[in-house]
Amino acid sequence: MKSMTENLRVLVTGAAGLVGAEVTARLATAGHEVTALVHDNPVLVRNDGSPLESSAVTCLSGDVTKPRLGLTEAAYQALAAGGLDRIVHCAAITDFGLPDEVYQAVNVDGTAHVVELARAGGIPLVHVSTAYVCGERDGLIRETELDEGQRLANAYETSKFRAETLVHKAQADGVRAAIVRPSIVVGEEHTGVVREYKNIYVVLKLATEGRVRSLPGLYEARLDLVPVDYVADVITEVTHRFEEAAGRTFHAVGAPLTLRDFSDVMAEYPPFQVPRFVPPTSFDAQRLSRRERLYYERVVTLYASYFRRRMRFDDSHTARLTTRGAPERGQDFLRRIFDHCLESGYLGLPPADDTEVGARPDGTGAQATAVANGTGPAGSDAIGAGR
Amino acid sequence: MILSEDYLQNLFDKTLPHLHSAADCGVVLEGSIAEGFGNSSSDIDFLLIADSDADLPTMPSLLFLDGRRVEVRTRSVRQLAEQFSAITTAAHGGPGAIPEDLLNRCQRLLHSFPLRNGELVAKVKGLMSVDDFRTTVREWWAHHARQSMRYALVLRELGQDEEAAAWTEAGLLQAVKSWAAGRGETYLEPKWLPMQLDRIGDDPLSARYRTLASLDASGLDPAAYLTEGARLMADLGVSGAAPGAGQITVARADGVTTWQTGDRVHVVRGKQDVFVLGDRAARAWRSLVFGRPLDLVLAAADAAGAPQAGPLIARFLRFGLVKAAWKGDGPIVPAMPLAAPPGAVTPPPSTARPLVALGGAVAGDADAIDLVPVPARRFSAAAMILVWSNVLVENAREDLVGALDREQWSVAELSARRMLRFALRGVLSAYGVNPLPPDSEVVRALSLLPAGAHMDGIQAEARRLETLTIDSVAGGSAALTALDGFVALVRQATGAHGFPSSFGSSDGWRQTLEIGYDWLRLGAHLDADLPLDEASDLLSSGGAQPHVATT
Repeated sequence: MKSMTENLRVLVTGAAGLVGAEVTARLATAGHEVTALVHDNPVLVRNDGSPLESSAVTCLSGDVTKPRLGLTEAAYQALAAGGLDRIVHCAAITDFGLPDEVYQAVNVDGTAHVVELARAGGIPLVHVSTAYVCGERDGLIRETELDEGQRLANAYETSKFRAETLVHKAQADGVRAAIVRPSIVVGEEHTGVVREYKNIYVVLKLATEGRVRSLPGLYEARLDLVPVDYVADVITEVTHRFEEAAGRTFHAVGAPLTLRDFSDVMAEYPPFQVPRFVPPTSFDAQRLSRRERLYYERVVTLYASYFRRRMRFDDSHTARLTTRGAPERGQDFLRRIFDHCLESGYLGLPPADDTEVGARPDGTGAQATAVANGTGPAGSDAIGAGR
Repeated sequence: MILSEDYLQNLFDKTLPHLHSAADCGVVLEGSIAEGFGNSSSDIDFLLIADSDADLPTMPSLLFLDGRRVEVRTRSVRQLAEQFSAITTAAHGGPGAIPEDLLNRCQRLLHSFPLRNGELVAKVKGLMSVDDFRTTVREWWAHHARQSMRYALVLRELGQDEEAAAWTEAGLLQAVKSWAAGRGETYLEPKWLPMQLDRIGDDPLSARYRTLASLDASGLDPAAYLTEGARLMADLGVSGAAPGAGQITVARADGVTTWQTGDRVHVVRGKQDVFVLGDRAARAWRSLVFGRPLDLVLAAADAAGAPQAGPLIARFLRFGLVKAAWKGDGPIVPAMPLAAPPGAVTPPPSTARPLVALGGAVAGDADAIDLVPVPARRFSAAAMILVWSNVLVENAREDLVGALDREQWSVAELSARRMLRFALRGVLSAYGVNPLPPDSEVVRALSLLPAGAHMDGIQAEARRLETLTIDSVAGGSAALTALDGFVALVRQATGAHGFPSSFGSSDGWRQTLEIGYDWLRLGAHLDADLPLDEASDLLSSGGAQPHVATT
């Protein structure tokens, strides 16, 4: 086994995704030779929007949902026997509200196919999961825990839970693996910069623009936001120091912000509407106006479970392993996120005429059905060798 | 110097017996006279320099000799060395970060006139390079000039021409002081500026400054004055304050939050002061996007129904609700020459009464940015009680109707009293009374309200209803009618007259609950006492409508 000081040959799945591209960039910068598995997007774009151009990165078209990752027999064999030192499995669907079979195909079957490659080639695997495999558990969530009989809130969580279970089973069968569990991946720690406005951003947009004025939620509920650069750093370090990391799970988590923090920080921005958080037991969607009810049904319901959870993620494994300090925790990070959204124009422009309620809430103007495609707490990346 | 050295030596000889130990000290004259200014009323400032590491007291000794006020300070060499190095340290935070007093002390020492132990004096003065010090003072004044002129540009863009001219005057004075400092005139006090300029000699720049020293003297209109002023400032060597498109942006003022209840916008400053905005002011406020150029903000306000929002935004600035920033260089923090930056202005409190209605604080007119006359927490607590009182009036009424149906006369009497008291709790809360007196005292507590509240009729009727007995169908019916009339009267007086109808439909009930949740949101932000013991049942019951809940 090569150590972290040597140049490694690394396969990154989902390399075109938000986290995948940043991990690929870090590995290439560190002098490793990266094979970037991508689905239909051969251009790797970093979080700051710049193209990732490196002679150390080779793009490989594939599809994790297919056996042999959609590669030809020869290409697959070349990978399996080609002396790969690590696989970093970032590919996943993180959008919410898609048909169950999509999650099964990408997140579960995709992981199975990647595990198969790791097994066939005896290659150490870094699996990117999500902190939200904890489902609706309350209290402190430890890195050592997975199946605690928790209720999983949606098909996304269920699929990531199953994927992580597959990795655990493979470990029992001798595959060497480490697991990284990011929470809700958002913009860069010091600038708030983010490449794409998905998942939580869509909800923030609907709320601050006043399209959704009432949310079922508890002021003391917590959402854990983690900067994308921190997540990429943790995954990269786990990849480097695999010998220490093997067999363990690492929470890559950030600022546990209460809904009250959200409310208070949103209120600092004059143009923002601050949603009312109505205790879920008292919330009645039928009381919403017709337009707001549509947004509620198409977007907010996908996130409702997150607005009542009060868990905290223990990250002592990560703290012991990584050299980078934990990201700043607290309202300042949230301000940075909002400031960047204003700077980029994602927020703060007068709401477009929304007489057409079916319009996509992130303003991309797709068909009404696309409203449901706001992405969820992103553990890993949708784009890339997933679909 | 206006005084001869002999005179000064003589004066110091007279001073000496009053001092504890001045042996071996260096002695200098500092201040306006030493600088070559001063007049017959100027103080004499002696500084004694002890060649030691001692920590000598800062407080000066004051004497009156020869009809002059004589001030004597003592500093050790170590203290003076620290004073000089403190300038370098402070300058790391930017040229504006150096405290004026520190700069002044160093300047006075460097430009002092030696009277005793000239060797020691020269050694101490040698601790700071004169050229470096000039540069420091020049940049210090330039920083302040830049801030003043930027602020003038902000005010001009907001249509505040006279104020813009006043800040241009301040900025030009600071700029010419910067220019003069670069020519060795580092004395800080602006009052000797004419003499400093005279000493520099003829220069087209000082001539231009003299013609632009004030708006009045310039003979220009405020707009032209500012334009000329900005040009002169650049020529005086102060960069970074030239008018340019998109230079000025709006920025966050810490601790300011916005809370809307119904259609009413409240802005809370430092969790302490509540400003309630009229409709047009609210539209202007909602247009303030941090980081966005001011001209775009004004255009957005216009598009949002607040044309010519400049004066409104200027008031937001003065009240410290928002800041102006210079793109790429942070918030603009102007200060008049040798004055601290002006803090947030607080206007006199609003005299609107009652001060809060269900939908929010009572605002004067469309342009109102009114300061609510009670602290934020009390305001929020009173408003929440106002909402719940009105809900509970309806609740008690349902109980009353039920009791009358079943001829439960004593239950009906109790419900009638609850209805009365809840209505009165609403009245008191609308006037900002919080915490409330116990229920048994609410009728008498009406006397707390100001005469202008016209409570006489309400109080008389309340006293009558408080002792009402119900013992028959006819009596019950009369009581219900009387109480309904009373509640209508109270709601009329407190601006809650829209409330009864809001209970008549599920849509109205929804709006009522939403306003309740709006207030809870502000209450949570302020850690105010939530009337949850009363409200929680209603809220956690799914917010069922009382009419529905009792059938």
